[in-house]
Amino acid sequence: MKDLENLTAELAGGRLSRREFVQRVVGLGLSSTAAFALMEACGQGSQSSGSIQLSFVTWSYGVSTIQDNIKKFQSSHKNVQIQFQDFAWTNYHDTMVARFTGKTPTDICYSSDHWLSEWAAARWITPLSSGFSDLTSYKSDYFPYVLQGMTYQGKLYGIPYYADTWAFLYNQDHLQRAGISTPPQTWEELTQQALEIKSKGIANYPVLLLFSQSDPGSIEVWESMVFSRQDGHLFDDNLNPVFNRAGSAAARVIDWIRDAMNNARIMDPASLTSEEIPVVKAMASGAHTFTILETYNQAELNKSGSGPFAGKFKMAPMPGETHNTVGYVRFYAVTDQLTRRPPDVQKAADQFLQYFGGKVNGTFSPVVVRWAVENGLGFGWKSLWDDQQVRTAFSQWGDPDMLRRNQELARIKEGLTKYFPDWDVFTRAELQKAYLGQTSTQAALDAMAEKWKSLKQGNS
Amino acid sequence: MANVTAATEAGPTPALRRRPGPGREAIYAYLTLLPVLLVVAAFSLYPILYAAYLSLHKELLTDPGDHHFVGFGNYADVFHSFYLVDSVTSTLVFVLMSVPAVMVFGLLVALLLNQAFAGAGILRVAVLLPWALPPVVSGIIWRWILNDDYGVLNSILRQLSIVHYAIPWLSNPQLARVALVFAQVWHEGPLAAIFLLAGLRAIPAETYGAARVDGAGWWAIFRHITLPLLRAPLLLVLIYETIVAAVTFDLVYIMTGGGPANATALVSWFAYTEVFKFVNLGNGSALAFLIAAALLVIILGYLRALRVESNR
Repeated sequence: MKDLENLTAELAGGRLSRREFVQRVVGLGLSSTAAFALMEACGQGSQSSGSIQLSFVTWSYGVSTIQDNIKKFQSSHKNVQIQFQDFAWTNYHDTMVARFTGKTPTDICYSSDHWLSEWAAARWITPLSSGFSDLTSYKSDYFPYVLQGMTYQGKLYGIPYYADTWAFLYNQDHLQRAGISTPPQTWEELTQQALEIKSKGIANYPVLLLFSQSDPGSIEVWESMVFSRQDGHLFDDNLNPVFNRAGSAAARVIDWIRDAMNNARIMDPASLTSEEIPVVKAMASGAHTFTILETYNQAELNKSGSGPFAGKFKMAPMPGETHNTVGYVRFYAVTDQLTRRPPDVQKAADQFLQYFGGKVNGTFSPVVVRWAVENGLGFGWKSLWDDQQVRTAFSQWGDPDMLRRNQELARIKEGLTKYFPDWDVFTRAELQKAYLGQTSTQAALDAMAEKWKSLKQGNS
Repeated sequence: MANVTAATEAGPTPALRRRPGPGREAIYAYLTLLPVLLVVAAFSLYPILYAAYLSLHKELLTDPGDHHFVGFGNYADVFHSFYLVDSVTSTLVFVLMSVPAVMVFGLLVALLLNQAFAGAGILRVAVLLPWALPPVVSGIIWRWILNDDYGVLNSILRQLSIVHYAIPWLSNPQLARVALVFAQVWHEGPLAAIFLLAGLRAIPAETYGAARVDGAGWWAIFRHITLPLLRAPLLLVLIYETIVAAVTFDLVYIMTGGGPANATALVSWFAYTEVFKFVNLGNGSALAFLIAAALLVIILGYLRALRVESNR
């Protein structure tokens, strides 16, 4: 009996495999049926057997939170085992391309609005209507940019993991020291305030922007600046470029950046190589005053211990006439591979998606609320702003009303087609050439327009 | 034992006397090599052949239903691409800057390590360390050192009052190119040094002794003995470093991401971009073949130049 106790303890502790457990229990004289029954009683049968295995792939953000969420899901769905993998955000797209092309088993994965057209056209991911129709019933509760960001050719492809906006953030301490009472309302006002801050020696380069050529966020920052201007559009309704017209919002944005970097010298040239985390770190150190970052970074900057200016980072509407900005959605997508798996696996995936991104028993799942409360991640649901727990959490590092207003002002990126990634790569370099003065604003915009037209024609 | 001895003394048994003919020997040899050949074929030949197939077909992943034969259409696309001229220029500049720098650095270090001094043994091992680091790690180290805002290099320069404001090492196109070359030399120089040190050790000491007896100074010895006798290792290093520089990808990927304004976007970067950003396997494969062909031409040119030099 003592031997049996030891064996069950070893099994429970994971020091013994199920096969070894059965062999050794049978060796003690018990029947194999009894051994299996004993194993089930130990709780190992359901947990490690994982009769249904789902592969879940994410980028590396909040990995310990994801793992904990998976653990909680598995404890309430004992027949499901989640095989989790994560990859760096900056390499995620390329990793997934290799993964899909190599047909590496993947059932559910993170995706993003700017990859949706490409992934859907390549048939790597599938619309939710193909077996996951319950997940399509939340559409009316999503902010418009969220719904647009998950829709391709009229079909919904995901359920939000988080949905955020690009926000104009500033260091209030710097403004106070410079004697400035309110944040800038326009880009011209921003130049004046930055010059004032620079002249007082508070920051040598008051503006730092995320413009690294390798960061997918750089095009979103640029589009935010375009959207905030009058007539801030890149394309007309037929996806013909309008950004290269004389005096366009895009041209005014490039001119402002050129001037800020090369003449007024208020924008740090390091912007051209700055990715998200270096921007956050530099802002936290107090080296700069103004930036544009994803809203959740305000939570990061203001959290206790983030730096000498924790609690001093405020958000204002994007400078400009319209204050519009870019909103984006990162979402849980279902792969095409999953649609070829047995119905019980798909059912488990449906439960998983509900638990991770939807509702459980009519209320928001704990995962949805957790990302908002613990990490300050924006969300796609309008009604989640009515949740007092969420409002309280957001008010600890920001202004919930301001955050919601930014979501209402947000627009999905323009030009999201399957050839957008090609244009994006080309455009990032052209924009940098214009910022550096290697080419004129108009020449850069014309090159971008020509590239767009050739891609559009090639894909028509 | 006695039987064995007897058989040996009496010559081979009839069975052993029937020695396998050349055909059998060849079959045996091929069978022995077959496992290795299969492995090579699976991991080298098949990918090359498959890449050749891809380069001749439409393989755009966003158009999964269309894989028609396009002949050299993908190659034409690459030749007409927006990036080819600029990236080839950037690659040539990078190769022309980094390869001579690596060789000079390697030669100087090798000459130093060839001297007898205390701690030379440890130094010979230590000098290899940068090469032993994966290029990705080297890239990360240099990116942090050269970070415009909080890199240690700018910090030191400011503390020494050499500069007052941070130098944009990676944000300025010209400086970013130089920074990339610097990182390449730091990473590749040690291997060149070890290769050349091995070459130096192979030069007989008597040759140097005879030269000194004849009154040759260090420069004459270096020019007329060391350099000519180092020709083979120098050529080896030249070929190897040219290939490494021409296909450098890791450092670019980590340090600059091809920026700013494509200043460091080498042609290998666009081979990657075609496949992983534009999801165009056809164009990516075509570009990879063009890079390989260009390298082959350069290497043949090196070998030919050396042969001409030897025959002179």
